[in-house]
Amino acid sequence: MKVPHIPWLAPGLALLALVLGSCAVTGVGVGVEGTADYGYDAGYYEPYGYDYGGWGHGYRVGPGRGGDRRGGGDPRGEHPSRPYRPAPESRPTPSIPHGSRGSHH
Amino acid sequence: MNGGRNYRLKIVLAVGMASLLSAASPSTSNAASFELPPLNSPASPEHHVGKVVWAELVTPDLAAAERFYGGLFGWTFQSVHTGMSDYAVALADGRPVGGLYQKAIPAGEHRQSAWLTFIAVRDVDAAKQAALAHGAKVVSDAKSYPARGRQAVLTDPEGAVFAMLASSSGDAPDLLAVPGEWIWSSLLSQDAGTEAAFYQQVFSYDVFDLASEDGLEHVILSSDDFARASVNTFPPGAARRHPHWLNFIRVEHTIDAVAKAASSGGRVLVEPHVDRHGGQVAVVADPAGAPFGLMEWTDSDSKVEPK
Repeated sequence: MKVPHIPWLAPGLALLALVLGSCAVTGVGVGVEGTADYGYDAGYYEPYGYDYGGWGHGYRVGPGRGGDRRGGGDPRGEHPSRPYRPAPESRPTPSIPHGSRGSHH
Repeated sequence: MNGGRNYRLKIVLAVGMASLLSAASPSTSNAASFELPPLNSPASPEHHVGKVVWAELVTPDLAAAERFYGGLFGWTFQSVHTGMSDYAVALADGRPVGGLYQKAIPAGEHRQSAWLTFIAVRDVDAAKQAALAHGAKVVSDAKSYPARGRQAVLTDPEGAVFAMLASSSGDAPDLLAVPGEWIWSSLLSQDAGTEAAFYQQVFSYDVFDLASEDGLEHVILSSDDFARASVNTFPPGAARRHPHWLNFIRVEHTIDAVAKAASSGGRVLVEPHVDRHGGQVAVVADPAGAPFGLMEWTDSDSKVEPK
C-alpha cells in the first residue's frame, strides 16, 4: 500500500496529544458544593453551625446485647402504621458480631 | 526507501493514535494516578450487604488529624499518592480502619469536617437507583477505583450523607471490633421510622423497633442476623439539628478516652454515660470539628433493661 507523505502529520499529532494529555493529567473536576477537586470527589463537608451532641443521659443510640425488648407492635408481626416492615416479633433483636479474630477460620 | 518511510509513518500514526486515545479518556488517566488501596488484604471472600465497612474523614488539615487520631487510638498512617490529593489510610494494629482525606474548605464558606460512612452493597449502580427512587440525591456519582471498588456518595431523604461501596476485595468477616476499630454506627434523624424505611428499601435491612425509654423512636437495622446500625429520632432540647451518621470507635475506657481527646484539642459533645448495652459511650469532635463516638464493650458490661 502506498502511503502519501504528509510532512505536518507527525508534529500535528504530537501537538494534539500534548494538549489533550495535559487536560487529562490535571483531572480537575467540579465536586460537591461546587468546589474544584483533583481526582477524588468523595470528601464532603457538613454544614456548619448545627448541634451534633448535647444529649441527655437517657438518650441511647447504641446496640443492645441481643434480645432487647421490642417496641410492642402487633404480635402477628404486622405494623400497618409504620413506614418500614418490622421484623416479626418472634425474632429476637440482634446484637453486634461477637466472634474474636482468633476464633474466625 | 519507500518501505522504510512507510514503516516510520505507521509507527508515528500508531503512537499518535495511542496518545490521542489515552488523552481522550480522562477517567482512565485519573484512575491510573489515583489508586486507593483495597479494604481487605488479602481479599475476603465474604460480602455483607448493609454492613458499615469503611469511614472516611474529610479535613482541612491532614497532619493535625493524624496527630490527634494517632495519639488517641494509636493509629498509624499510610500515605497514598493520589494525583493531587492528600490522602492517608489509618491503620489499627496494621489493619486499615479508615481514610483521612485533606480537602480545602471552599473560600468564604464555614463548613463542618465530618466522617463519611460507607455501607456495603453488591451493585452500586443498582443500589443508587433504588436510593434515588426513594428520595435520595447524588452527592458524588458512582465511580470505580480499581483496588478499592465502586462507590457513590448520596444524601438520604432527610439530607444525611452516606456512601455505598462495592468493595473489590470483599467485606471483612463479622467479628467483634477490637479497641481502635469502629464498633457501631448510628443515624440521627428527624423521623427514625421514615428513615429506617428508606434504608430498608436500599439495603434490604431487617428492622427491629425498640422499646422506647425516652418517648422517641429508635430502631435497629440488621443484616446477616447482626445489628449494623441504629436509627434514632433526635433528642429534644437543641434547636439546630442536622440529620447525620455518627460512627463509634471501641475504646477500653470511655472516660479516659474523652479526657485524652479533650486534652488533644478535641471537644466533648456528649458526656460519658451508660448506653443500652451497659457500657459507657460518649461523643467528641476532633480539632477540626468532626464528630465521632467512643464506646466501651466488655463482656462484663451488664445489659440495661428498659423500664
